[in-house]
Amino acid sequence: MQENKKNVAIEVNDLVTHYGPRKILDGINLTVSEGEIMIIMGGSGSGKSTLLRYLLGLGIPTSGSIKLLGKDITKLNANEMFELRKNMGVAFQGGALLSSMTIGENVKLPLREHTELNEKTMDIMARMKLEVVNLGGFEELMPSELSGGMIKRAAVARAIVMDPKLMFFDEPSAGLDPVVSAELDDLILRLRDAMNMTIVVVTHELDSAFKIADRITVLDRGHILMSDTVEEIKNSDNERIQSLLNRRPSNDMINADEYLSRLTGM
Amino acid sequence: MSESIIHRFLNYIEIVGSLTVKLAEGAGYYFALLIESLAWIIVGPFYKQPVRIPSIFSQMMTIGIAACPIVFILSFSIGVMLAIQMIYNLKTFGAESQVVVGVALSITREFAPLITGILIAGRTGSALAAKLGTMQVNQEIDALRVMGINPVRYLVSPALLAMLIMVPILTFFSDIAGLLGGALYTGVEIGLSFSAYVDRTIAALMVGDIMQGLFKSLVFALIITLVGASNGFSVTGGAEGVGKATTRSVVLSISFIVIADMIFTYFLNR
Amino acid sequence: MKINIQQDDNYTTIGLDGAVDLSSSSDARKNIIEVLKENKNILIDLSLVSYIDSSGVASLVEGYQIAKKQSLKFGLFGVSDAAMSVLKLARLDQVFPIYNSKDEYEKEDV
Repeated sequence: MQENKKNVAIEVNDLVTHYGPRKILDGINLTVSEGEIMIIMGGSGSGKSTLLRYLLGLGIPTSGSIKLLGKDITKLNANEMFELRKNMGVAFQGGALLSSMTIGENVKLPLREHTELNEKTMDIMARMKLEVVNLGGFEELMPSELSGGMIKRAAVARAIVMDPKLMFFDEPSAGLDPVVSAELDDLILRLRDAMNMTIVVVTHELDSAFKIADRITVLDRGHILMSDTVEEIKNSDNERIQSLLNRRPSNDMINADEYLSRLTGM
Repeated sequence: MSESIIHRFLNYIEIVGSLTVKLAEGAGYYFALLIESLAWIIVGPFYKQPVRIPSIFSQMMTIGIAACPIVFILSFSIGVMLAIQMIYNLKTFGAESQVVVGVALSITREFAPLITGILIAGRTGSALAAKLGTMQVNQEIDALRVMGINPVRYLVSPALLAMLIMVPILTFFSDIAGLLGGALYTGVEIGLSFSAYVDRTIAALMVGDIMQGLFKSLVFALIITLVGASNGFSVTGGAEGVGKATTRSVVLSISFIVIADMIFTYFLNR
Repeated sequence: MKINIQQDDNYTTIGLDGAVDLSSSSDARKNIIEVLKENKNILIDLSLVSYIDSSGVASLVEGYQIAKKQSLKFGLFGVSDAAMSVLKLARLDQVFPIYNSKDEYEKEDV
């Protein structure tokens, strides 16, 4: 019973987006409950990164609505969006730390910009977050002095420094060795458990997805194929989901006429 | 046959049309960027999103103080060069001693702002484009946006303010360096003493001459910042894109500076 | 957030009441530091705290470090499960002296 009472943190309705004249996302419907870990999966070109950009409010959709914490970000004004962003944390694929600042200054940046806390408090908060991601003592280093995995973790520290309610991860395990990648998975689980964060992870790593997901949404060519629990996804008889799970290249039937016209351009 | 001529003609029209649209789009973007960065400077504090003073100062250091030696060397050389040319030209009229007036007016009204503008376009405008471009490629701009830190307020406004302060100051510095160059060469060539040169320069120059140069330099500062920033923000396609944007920003800024200079000179001397 | 300060024989209790977050934690910090400046042992009562975020925890960390330097007794009391999980995330549950009751705090020496 308790499950049903959970508040909805993210609600996407009939989202349609274009890149130039090309339709990228078509009729996306998605809900994520408070404290849930939702994995968005799909092959390259499936639109999963695009969906994330729109969830972050970095693009203006053609139609549809995106509600974060009950507020439709397609209709918010700049000031309301500014307030909402204080409750969102994002860990980008490459970390996206500002290369001109030390790790500590990077982590402190949101605090500096959004709060009037005492410098000492900000220092301690930043160091606490760096401890959470196992980077204690690294605050004086520049991003260029860190390895890829460390940069990703520092980016997580920066993303959680304001204690956000929503957390987004873009390909957290891409380019990392399996051990570091497993550590990040654990970190995601710990964050959810300790702070009841709602977490959206975009990834194509199956192992990591199965380990941390409450539910998985599978995207394919701009459509949602399925949005369900790990078990249901694993047992799905949808051919494209199975080929994604079994890492099989998709072997669609070829339409001879269409294929010929694609090749010749006529 | 005639059909193909008409076809070609239409093609040209289309090219001209799309160029005009691009130009208007570009101008519109520069203008919007200008308005937005100025707006943040003025209203930012009321929305608890001020433009940070320390970041303005650090920009001023890199734009201004670090550029002093090169501005001095170039302006000094221009001063010497002008003196050489003018003495050579004025000799024909036997009016070598008028070189002081010629150098003073050319330097303050024309060469100091122009050479400073071109130098800063190459130094700071390109650096701004490269910095913003790299940040765009590394998703740092996106990261700022999702953190609720407006990239224009955080990156462009401080640069714009620093440029508006430093470029006129550098131009004034360039005035002095150029006049010094002229004085030294004139002293050696026609034996005019340094103090006499200074006296005559002061007598020849009016405040308006210097102000004209400084006003131009303000406009150049705007051009360099806006062209550099908008080229940086619009980078796509990785490291190669950053390189292209950097080059484009330098070429565009210098072109705009020279054209703007011509237009201003025309109107300011009517 | 409200702050209740209560003097006992040899220690001061600072009771935090409500949400200790970005907007209120500097207030908590100021009070903690003031009590420590008067060279008094300190017990922070968190039993009425509805929510505490990292800025609140950071203020506690700073207070504890100051207390340690001055050899004063510092303790937390009434830590809720939610607050505990925030502490645990940064492994601070192993650092802070956490007491289940006031008696326990009173009996223990520095």
